[in-house]
Amino acid sequence: MKRWYDRVFGEFWGATPVLVVAGVFASFYFGLTGTLWAVTGEFTRWGGNVLQLVGVDPTRWAYFQAIHLKGGPLQRTDGWLVLGMLWGSLCAALLGGHFKIRTPRQKRRWLWSFIGGLMAGFGTRLAMGCNLAAFFTGLPQFSLHAWLFIAGTVLGTYIGVRLAVLPAFKGKPRLEIGLRRVQSLDGSGTARPWQMYAGLAGVLVWVVCVGWTMRDHRPLMGLAALFGAAFGVLIQRGQICFTSGLRDLWLFGNGRMAKAILAGMAIQCVGTAVFIDRGVQPVIHWASLGTLIGGLMFGVGIVIAGGCETGWMYRLMEGQLQFAAVGVGNITGATLLAYGWDHWGLYRALVQGAPEVNLLHTLGWTGGILATFGFLGLLYVLVLWREGAYRRRLALRRLPSAGDVSA
Amino acid sequence: MGDAARVWADGRLDVRGESCPYPELYTLEALDAIGSGKVLEVITDCPQSFIRIPESVRVHGHALLSERRDGTTRVYYIRAR
Repeated sequence: MKRWYDRVFGEFWGATPVLVVAGVFASFYFGLTGTLWAVTGEFTRWGGNVLQLVGVDPTRWAYFQAIHLKGGPLQRTDGWLVLGMLWGSLCAALLGGHFKIRTPRQKRRWLWSFIGGLMAGFGTRLAMGCNLAAFFTGLPQFSLHAWLFIAGTVLGTYIGVRLAVLPAFKGKPRLEIGLRRVQSLDGSGTARPWQMYAGLAGVLVWVVCVGWTMRDHRPLMGLAALFGAAFGVLIQRGQICFTSGLRDLWLFGNGRMAKAILAGMAIQCVGTAVFIDRGVQPVIHWASLGTLIGGLMFGVGIVIAGGCETGWMYRLMEGQLQFAAVGVGNITGATLLAYGWDHWGLYRALVQGAPEVNLLHTLGWTGGILATFGFLGLLYVLVLWREGAYRRRLALRRLPSAGDVSA
Repeated sequence: MGDAARVWADGRLDVRGESCPYPELYTLEALDAIGSGKVLEVITDCPQSFIRIPESVRVHGHALLSERRDGTTRVYYIRAR
């Protein structure tokens, strides 16, 4: 029993198997419910709910009419999905013994987390989806808007990395140089059984919640709660961070996560194609200038914040409090966009008149599927190129030379 | 070199509370700063860095000598290239 437990929770799971499984789950979630694994639409509604609490009625704003602001999180399928993800991540972090309240030593982290989260939240809603609905689960809908969003995000993360290494963002570490005795570990953190019991209790609570929604004749919400929890467990156990997928490619020439994300999208394309063929309506959004700009803002924002939507959710559940600031930023940004949609004329300027392109219609089934896999292939080549370029630069640096020190 | 034998290090980088990419970035920069052949002690509690630090250190040609686990904290001993 102990051996089995250690095998499952002792080490993190590989990113590629986790994302392939997430891709399969995501296509079944789409096939069974007709909606996507997505979170930011619900974050926007949370912003709307908060406004309602303080006496502002946003239900007449055009954006909230488009995404249907009704009831609270527990009355919405997407609400159960998001809560399921948070709960699943929390249980997984506890079961793996990774839960710990952590606060950043450098105060600047709070500020950048909030600002980055705000940019990312604003951008995603301008684009109608985040790293999920306009990226991971958006591309497999054969919707052109995901192409624009991905292009914007790739460029945005590159700009973000350029910013993140500047002193104002990077800050200074606690580094002491000089011979010293190594830190003695006091053993305070070794194998605390309470985390495991708390995790198991958490799983039980969620089983009861799912059973309750089912008994209450809300099968869709129960399904969302189940899938959400599965996604939450997967992203925590695999440390699935879309931010790191792109950021680490630019910053460290590491394409491991990026390749895993591409594999997850490829398998999902097959799954969604089967369900669409069987009559499920694909989710298509406007392919507009707003989508591209939104992707760009999202890319810059997630790198500055240190995490995208899935990233901050599981990190917060591991006890990294800095990511609460990202979450609050996200919701604030999304709500600002919802306000600006009609009040600042964002819709008219950036989105109105843009086509909703379903590639399976525009290019036909064969063309649409080939084009989508071609796009994935192109991204894969980009990853390989970047990895190669970084390795070549590193090899050059290894040749001994006097002016080689770059700290 | 095993855990028991390692009593001294040439520098310490404590990145507890920091989250990615900074534990990894700080580690690489500290290894450049500390000087060739010296041993750096890195203390971290960011779960993602448990994957990234060993990976990145190897790619950059440094030697990961040993790793100690203390619940949610990990300590790495790395010899700079």
